[in-house]
Amino acid sequence: MWSFVRQNYLAGIVSVLGGLLIWEIVSRFLIANALFLASPTQIVYAIYELSLSGQMQRHIAISAVEFALGYVIASAIGIAIGFGMAANARFKQAMQPWISGLYATPTIALAPLFILWLGIGIWSKVLVVIFLVLFPVTINTEAGLRTTSDRLIEMLRSFGATPRQIFFKVSLPSALPFILAGLKLGIGRGLIGVVVAELFGARAGLGQLISQAADAFNMPELFAGVVVLAVAGIVMTAGFGWLEKKLVPWTKD
Amino acid sequence: MSDTGSATTGAASTAPTPKLQTSGLNKWFGSLEAVRDLNVTVHRGEFVSLVGPSGCGKTTFLRMVAGLEPITSGTVLLDGRTLSGPGGDRGFVFQNDNLLPWRTVLQNALIGPEVAGSVSPDIRKRTIDLLKLVGLKGFEDYHPRQLSGGMRQRVNLARALAIDPEVLLMDEPFSALDAQTREIMQTELMRIWEEGRKTVLFVTHQIDEAVFLSDRVLVLARRPGRLQESVQIDLPRPRALGIKRTPEFIRYVDHIWKLIEEDVRASVIEEHG
Repeated sequence: MWSFVRQNYLAGIVSVLGGLLIWEIVSRFLIANALFLASPTQIVYAIYELSLSGQMQRHIAISAVEFALGYVIASAIGIAIGFGMAANARFKQAMQPWISGLYATPTIALAPLFILWLGIGIWSKVLVVIFLVLFPVTINTEAGLRTTSDRLIEMLRSFGATPRQIFFKVSLPSALPFILAGLKLGIGRGLIGVVVAELFGARAGLGQLISQAADAFNMPELFAGVVVLAVAGIVMTAGFGWLEKKLVPWTKD
Repeated sequence: MSDTGSATTGAASTAPTPKLQTSGLNKWFGSLEAVRDLNVTVHRGEFVSLVGPSGCGKTTFLRMVAGLEPITSGTVLLDGRTLSGPGGDRGFVFQNDNLLPWRTVLQNALIGPEVAGSVSPDIRKRTIDLLKLVGLKGFEDYHPRQLSGGMRQRVNLARALAIDPEVLLMDEPFSALDAQTREIMQTELMRIWEEGRKTVLFVTHQIDEAVFLSDRVLVLARRPGRLQESVQIDLPRPRALGIKRTPEFIRYVDHIWKLIEEDVRASVIEEHG
């Protein structure tokens, strides 16, 4: 157990603890100005206070709902469009310019427009998340289905398999690692989408917490929001890594 | 009995039934003539190999028989029926194992019955027995990435046998293996074949492999691929690897090599010149 931890995590743990220590020292003794920097202990205390008053929970809940709605809707639509593009060349030709164009565009810049359209409630944020998550999922799904090995398809064909059987027994499982990779990319993009959209205008949410704290020069609360986001990102990405190991073990080792 | 009726029946029953027959098989890839007028007859339980230099169309021919390659003209008959497209009556053993990496050995071997309908407990049991026959007892739940090349080719073979095909079509199945493993797999194939005596059409570029395994070796010429000679191999069965050092064996190999030598040289010059 200990040797496993030492092999895989020790360097990471030491570097994080060391970083926190340096941060603490710098903010206490070098830049001892609460307007510019908060120390780790202050941040932890801010998180504790915000949780006691129930504010933190409320912000997290709102952001989580926005993220989850946008992420699930985008994943469903993205996978569906990816399937459509892999199945039909015309459809792919029709979709390609939109996807290439919108994937490369920083659609997050459209957030103020969405807020104008949909108001400062959760739906404008959901739309931003959809726009950010949709394209990596679509592109990966389509690529995964397209790169299915011709040899494996031919193997199935030699047994007289129907196109439907080929899809479910070969194309879909071999596209699964790609689809999961697209969904994983979507986590980070979706989180950015939620927070940035909330910065532009919201009633609650972690982004709103951050912007409100920035306006009040309340550095501990600002960093509290950022730390919660970072932890959420790390936890979700790690959870996804675990899911990949369970669902597509053949792509590892 | 001298009436004409029984005489005809007698003649029909003594003549060996062609299991597989191709007549006037042609293949063009655009303006390239790949296979010309191939007439091949394989009898029930016969092991027939096709050898020839690269570009002689042997794999194309096998793929046409399997229904994987569209036929330009001509017919393929199985038990007198004209075939169109692939089907469960032919089991194809691929050059690359083409195993599904997310399936276990047993699940891979069961893909044929699965495509054909459902996997009954009977078929499942028989497939487990087949895995035992090809030497994979105890490996049923392994994944392909845990197996060596030789073991993967055993799964490849078991997968084709699992549908209990009328004919086994084998496309250079041992060519990706190292020399020692290949020889072991040749004797293994002989042992398995002796069990059921399936009708086999085997494509290889290795003359000694063809002579060792076959009842008959069909020698093809290249550009376009066409039949040059059919060589009957009268070596006693069952055969062990030692037979490869006997003068009879070497005579067969030399004879076939002389038939294709010029073609092989031509193909080498073409590929490297």
